[in-house]
Amino acid sequence: MDFLFKHKRISGILTVLPQKAVKFEDEMANYNFSPAKSMKLKLAMGYNEHRIAAPGQTSYDFCQFGLQYLFDNNLLKPEEIDALLFVSQSPDYFMPPTSNLLHGHFGLRQDCLCMDINQGCAGFELGMIQACMMLDQHAVNKVVLLNADVLSPKVSPRDRNSKPLIGDAAAITVVEQCEAENPIYANIKMDGTGALVLNIPAGGFRLPCSPETAVMEEDAAGNFRSKDNLVMQGDDVFNFVQREVPPMIEHLYEQSGVDRNDVDWYMFHQPNKFMLNKLADKLGVPREKMPANIVENFGNASGVTVPTSISFNLGDQLCNDEMLLCMAGFGVGLTWSSIMMKVGNLMFNQIIEL
Amino acid sequence: MEELVSKLSEILEVDNLDVTKKFTDYEEWDSLAGLSILALLDSDYNTTMSGKEVAAFDSIEAFCKEVLSRQ
Repeated sequence: MDFLFKHKRISGILTVLPQKAVKFEDEMANYNFSPAKSMKLKLAMGYNEHRIAAPGQTSYDFCQFGLQYLFDNNLLKPEEIDALLFVSQSPDYFMPPTSNLLHGHFGLRQDCLCMDINQGCAGFELGMIQACMMLDQHAVNKVVLLNADVLSPKVSPRDRNSKPLIGDAAAITVVEQCEAENPIYANIKMDGTGALVLNIPAGGFRLPCSPETAVMEEDAAGNFRSKDNLVMQGDDVFNFVQREVPPMIEHLYEQSGVDRNDVDWYMFHQPNKFMLNKLADKLGVPREKMPANIVENFGNASGVTVPTSISFNLGDQLCNDEMLLCMAGFGVGLTWSSIMMKVGNLMFNQIIEL
Repeated sequence: MEELVSKLSEILEVDNLDVTKKFTDYEEWDSLAGLSILALLDSDYNTTMSGKEVAAFDSIEAFCKEVLSRQ
């Protein structure tokens, strides 16, 4: 499904990371792998250090801290917010929505629409599409898009598929109306037949957590997890990404009329360095234009990796300049989505820590 | 066939790959080697298989024949 939005822009991006950094080597002993093999894994996938929330810290906390920072520094005013979108797989509660909790905490206007969206790796793109659809309404001038996930507590320490790459983080993106046309080309696709390829089996209404769901079991590759843990069919995800993402980006070139060489940066979701390099090669894009350094520095916090990569790799440059970005997310759902747009002259684009 | 066998030898880190053996007979066979093979199929042979399918071949030779028959 293709979208075209006009007269909208991103005016600021703030990434909030946990202070606690964990080294790959410190967790290696938990894996059912020889040290030599673990080091090979580290090298191939680009694992090094990842940021993990402290016990008790939730997605809400990182969003609250970031919003408070923006209010305190006059980068955003609470009364300006017309909609608050919280895109996450780790809400504080099944009910109420986490966006409403934040609304209450900051005393936002009653004329501010709160919405939680359950989405992961394509959460930044889906959130941008939702924000832009809202901004098509005259009543909505400014949307605050929150992407946040604290999934590390759901990953088994003995799962070398997911543990070395998981990261916790939040990002706040302000999207607003503008006078300039600034076309935003977006597309999104879904394949629900692969809905359980990335999954946390227990903890919802279908299979509530119990002592039985907490029992650790070994899989064919020697990873130990319980049904309370996140599980990823790595092969299926790899094949899915390599099959679907390149044609999606080719389509985005056609849709937007943009030549691949004119894109300044390819800001893609970052599952690991291995997959991103493969994607860059397949698209015929120089690897330097597609940053793959988020997993090695901070870990993969699903929908937060794209804004984190923009904050980390472009920082203040994007406050003084304007660049053509091609962004893409792919994963849980299965969902894959991409956006071509100019981003620049931001009020803020930085990383803070909690 | 030779080219594919030589690439598989690199992934499994052996000098003389015995193609009558199964992938799982090799000590270096693991999920990472499996993923490397999926990546090889995707980038050099324009085809895909699941990791399970790769591991299930009765011999590396049978795997190679299947891959080459898809070319």
